[in-house]
Amino acid sequence: MDELTDWLRRFHAAVTAHQTELTELDSVIGDADHGANMVRGMNAVMAKVDAEPPATVADLGKAVGMTLVTSVGGASGPLYGTFFLRFGMNAGAVDGLDAAGLGAALRAGLEGIVARGKAEPGDKTMVDALAPAIDAWDRTVAEGGSSAQAARAAATAAEEGRDATLPLVARKGRASYLGERSAGHLDPGAASAALLLGSLADALED
Amino acid sequence: MIGIVVVSHSPALARAAVDLALEMGGSEPPPLRIAAGAAGGATGTDAVAIAAAIDEVASPDGVLVLMDLGSAVLSAGLALEFVHTDAAVVLSPAPFVEGLIAAVVGAGSGASLSAVAEESARGLEAKRSQLGAEHDPSEPPDPPTAAPDGAEDGGAQTASFDAVVRNPSGLHARPAATFVKTAARYTATVTVTDLDTGKGPVSAASLISLISLGVTRGTRIRVSATGPDAQDAARELEALVADGFGER
Repeated sequence: MDELTDWLRRFHAAVTAHQTELTELDSVIGDADHGANMVRGMNAVMAKVDAEPPATVADLGKAVGMTLVTSVGGASGPLYGTFFLRFGMNAGAVDGLDAAGLGAALRAGLEGIVARGKAEPGDKTMVDALAPAIDAWDRTVAEGGSSAQAARAAATAAEEGRDATLPLVARKGRASYLGERSAGHLDPGAASAALLLGSLADALED
Repeated sequence: MIGIVVVSHSPALARAAVDLALEMGGSEPPPLRIAAGAAGGATGTDAVAIAAAIDEVASPDGVLVLMDLGSAVLSAGLALEFVHTDAAVVLSPAPFVEGLIAAVVGAGSGASLSAVAEESARGLEAKRSQLGAEHDPSEPPDPPTAAPDGAEDGGAQTASFDAVVRNPSGLHARPAATFVKTAARYTATVTVTDLDTGKGPVSAASLISLISLGVTRGTRIRVSATGPDAQDAARELEALVADGFGER
């Protein structure tokens, strides 16, 4: 549980440090609130988790998910909220996960996001970072890698996936209203998703 | 009576839309709750608040949810995972304002969830028709001219009348809503035809169909009622038209 709580703390620090950048990405092809939304959400998450440390991964997923749902008014609320809710439900009432279990929980979270928002790879969304990241995780585990190694592979893949959104024309979300003008800019959701996986890798390597 | 939940990023927008819908067609309004804004009244939506609103208006008749756009739809979808009620809940693809008005009128006249959902989803037809937009062949045709609860009429009693619409603005939303709700009190099937353009007959159970006729002041219409109480229905509706639908 300590590693997962450390993950959340590092993600909080990451979105706070990158708030301006996330907002700038979102002001070009969104409504300029992604940075503020993620900071507000993770402020609320850390307050909740510090006040009532979750005993199981299911508890953590539920606490984080519900907090994001009720504190982030934009799309990141239901999307990241669903991610953590499904993550926790998949993991169950355990106090730790091995590499395969963590990969399965992350994939359940991704599938929740896809079910909620119906994004497909190439739509220029957070899925374009998360999907290759979790595939990289699974590959590393299949080759006998540890959680830390899988997380680093996932973080690298997430960054590459984020960068690959640059030329894409958005087909989902606020950016999709811009059509062709959304091309040439990174997707802010993919950027925050890369921070999420990067934070997990940092937490597991520590 | 079905319940209605109104989901918007903006509490002010939701309140204004509800006020407009109730003004247009809100005598005997259905159970209705707003779920709008995020924490601290910020712009946005909250799936937990939406779920609570659904639970508040839920009954065995079901609930129709209207949303403005974007993440309101994501939040409403997530809310379905949080609700306690096992009543049927439909997330409507209707346009926010037009769909809400149609929903308030339809629900208030006792129509079923499926009938109100179908009616709301046709909400843009009136505007298209008013602007003379090309007919979209993929749009569904007018709903069948059955009474809202689909009851079969026992006798074949028919009554009809022709009248000239006297309202300055013709058969626009508010008088059309009054017409729909008056007709809904009878089991007779009621239809309206525009005798000048030949459009119709359209069902008097459908607010959208009535508005889409685009009946202006001075237009001759034919109202036909079929069913056990057809004569009573025709009599009251004739008086309503002659009275300018209560507008003067």
